[in-house]
Amino acid sequence: MKAIFKRELKSYFTGMIGYVVVAAIFAFISLYYTANNLVYASPDFATALYSTSLVMLFVLPALSMRSFADERRNKTDQLLLTSPVGIPSIVLGKYFAQLAVFAVPVLAACVMPLILSLFGTVSFISCYAALLGYFLVGAACIAVGTFISALTENQIISYLATFGALLVCYMINSIQTLFTSGNTLAFIVFCVILAVAAVLIGLLCKNVTVGSAVFCVGAVVLVLLFKLRPAWLLNAFNQALDALALFDPFIEFVSGMFTFSGVIYYLSVIALFLFLTGQALERRRWN
Amino acid sequence: MIEVNHLTKRYGNHCAVDDISFTVEDGCIYGLLGPNGAGKSTTMNVITGYLSATSGTVRIDGHDIVEEPREAKSCIGYLPEQPPLYTDMTVREYLMFVAELKGVRPKAARLESIERASGRTGLENMQQRLIRNLSKGYRQRVGIAATLLGDPKVIILDEPTVGLDPAQMIEIRSLIHDLGKTHTVILSSHILSEVQAVCDQVLIIAHGKLVAQGTPEELAGRLAARGVIAATALGGRDAVLAAVQGVAGLTNVQITAEKGDEVSFTASSEAGSDLRAALSKALADAGCPVLSLTSQSMSLEDVFLQLTEAADEAAPATEAPENTGNGTASAAACSEAAPAAGPTPADGDESAPVSEDAAGNAPTAEDGNVSQAADDGKEGE
Repeated sequence: MKAIFKRELKSYFTGMIGYVVVAAIFAFISLYYTANNLVYASPDFATALYSTSLVMLFVLPALSMRSFADERRNKTDQLLLTSPVGIPSIVLGKYFAQLAVFAVPVLAACVMPLILSLFGTVSFISCYAALLGYFLVGAACIAVGTFISALTENQIISYLATFGALLVCYMINSIQTLFTSGNTLAFIVFCVILAVAAVLIGLLCKNVTVGSAVFCVGAVVLVLLFKLRPAWLLNAFNQALDALALFDPFIEFVSGMFTFSGVIYYLSVIALFLFLTGQALERRRWN
Repeated sequence: MIEVNHLTKRYGNHCAVDDISFTVEDGCIYGLLGPNGAGKSTTMNVITGYLSATSGTVRIDGHDIVEEPREAKSCIGYLPEQPPLYTDMTVREYLMFVAELKGVRPKAARLESIERASGRTGLENMQQRLIRNLSKGYRQRVGIAATLLGDPKVIILDEPTVGLDPAQMIEIRSLIHDLGKTHTVILSSHILSEVQAVCDQVLIIAHGKLVAQGTPEELAGRLAARGVIAATALGGRDAVLAAVQGVAGLTNVQITAEKGDEVSFTASSEAGSDLRAALSKALADAGCPVLSLTSQSMSLEDVFLQLTEAADEAAPATEAPENTGNGTASAAACSEAAPAAGPTPADGDESAPVSEDAAGNAPTAEDGNVSQAADDGKEGE
């Protein structure tokens, strides 16, 4: 794991990507910090961080896009997978290298509240809690990107797909408001999801009857629920959307509510996607 | 020691490797030989744990590749068809990385391991060069040096000389020959002469099946033993045929051209016997003047083509490609190729056309052309 971590980290800074990512993130944080805190003299560093969270959507996919896609295209994954190193070590080595790159601008930003404190009173707890939230949400984005990178061998597809996925997560709140009215819409969405799942299951099992059976059973359950307990569907739907709202806990951190459930949410997202990355690599050996 | 047991690998409906079993003993150089798409790379990828087998097992030094991947993989140094090089690293950085990846500790041991591997592969003066700027031959050497790190017992090289110029090929071959003194080496190739020059044992694979196995001498002796005589005589088809068939030991007579009274034909003779004199005499006795008479021996390329094509045809056809009992070499080969379609003895004239197609055509082509075609094939790869 150490070998992969070192190589990966070095390669980010042999090429351009490492510098670009560090520079872009740091530049935007500095920009808002200068405008909000230094010029406008606001002690609220968290707002500056919140304003730059959109930058992550553009920059972090560039960090993660190459992690596995590039290995696969250059066939260097053959070296890693035939070495006496387990898949978890490979995934973690690569993931920690990306985290290390992302940590550079975050650590640099740690100085900013200290500078502010020279001019007045600053709530260090809220500043550093927001920075921790910033780092965690970035780490979760990188985990998502790493997983998507393991699915393709094209870096551009990897970048765009990651960007798209993160954008949906970013906008999920406004998407959600579209759906709060009307149980019918939730029902239709669930039907579509069920249909897609049934087709996937059918394809995986290479069996039409299994796919159809899944769809029929699911459809009956959905119709019954819709007729008897329509509110359940809507609630389940909203909760599913809530889970996708990757940036929500961060926004809570920024507004001064540090919660452990938020930290645990990010850690679980990271663990889930790294696990899925490992599974994607494992599965590829069987095809 | 590597034991491969009933290894099968399917991609959807396509069967890339079909029930292959073999054992690799320590201290030999093994060659996997087969045309493109025969399943060589897939076999190697399964042995090294890059791919999983659909069924069957691979044990390396007693460690199952699926159950104890770490132990099994640490016994192997693998160079895939395309060397897995990070082009943004220097040679030294890359070798350090691979050594660390293979768990060579501490750093001093790593440096020493790199020193040795670089020495053997002639990379001493290339340490600080970026891999991106290296020629194909040097990249191949870096790949081979990387397989040597950590001193694995077995070294597996997938087509190590593809894309190299002739001088580089010879260098890499002599390097492999050297490696064979200290390691067990498995290499794959579709170049017969290479396998013949380097390997102690040859496994011929065609269409995912193991077609033949043995030392190069054994295979050559067993397979290439038939001589082919090509001749042109004057005197009409029937007279010539009658005369030729009167010669004991000649089989598989085939008319290749007829121009008026001039009849050209080929005929096969058994191993070691030169029937040119007898044939000439028989034709003269029958009153057919001989216009030309040459003996063609089958080159290894022909044998290889014949063997892999025979596997091709034996798979769908249930008839035995060889019937008369005279063509022992081919019959032996084909019985290996398709045990289900073993040689049926004395089937008479009916299956003669099959044998002509399966065995007769390849040798009649000029040797130069055939090997040229084979060369073209691999260049196109």
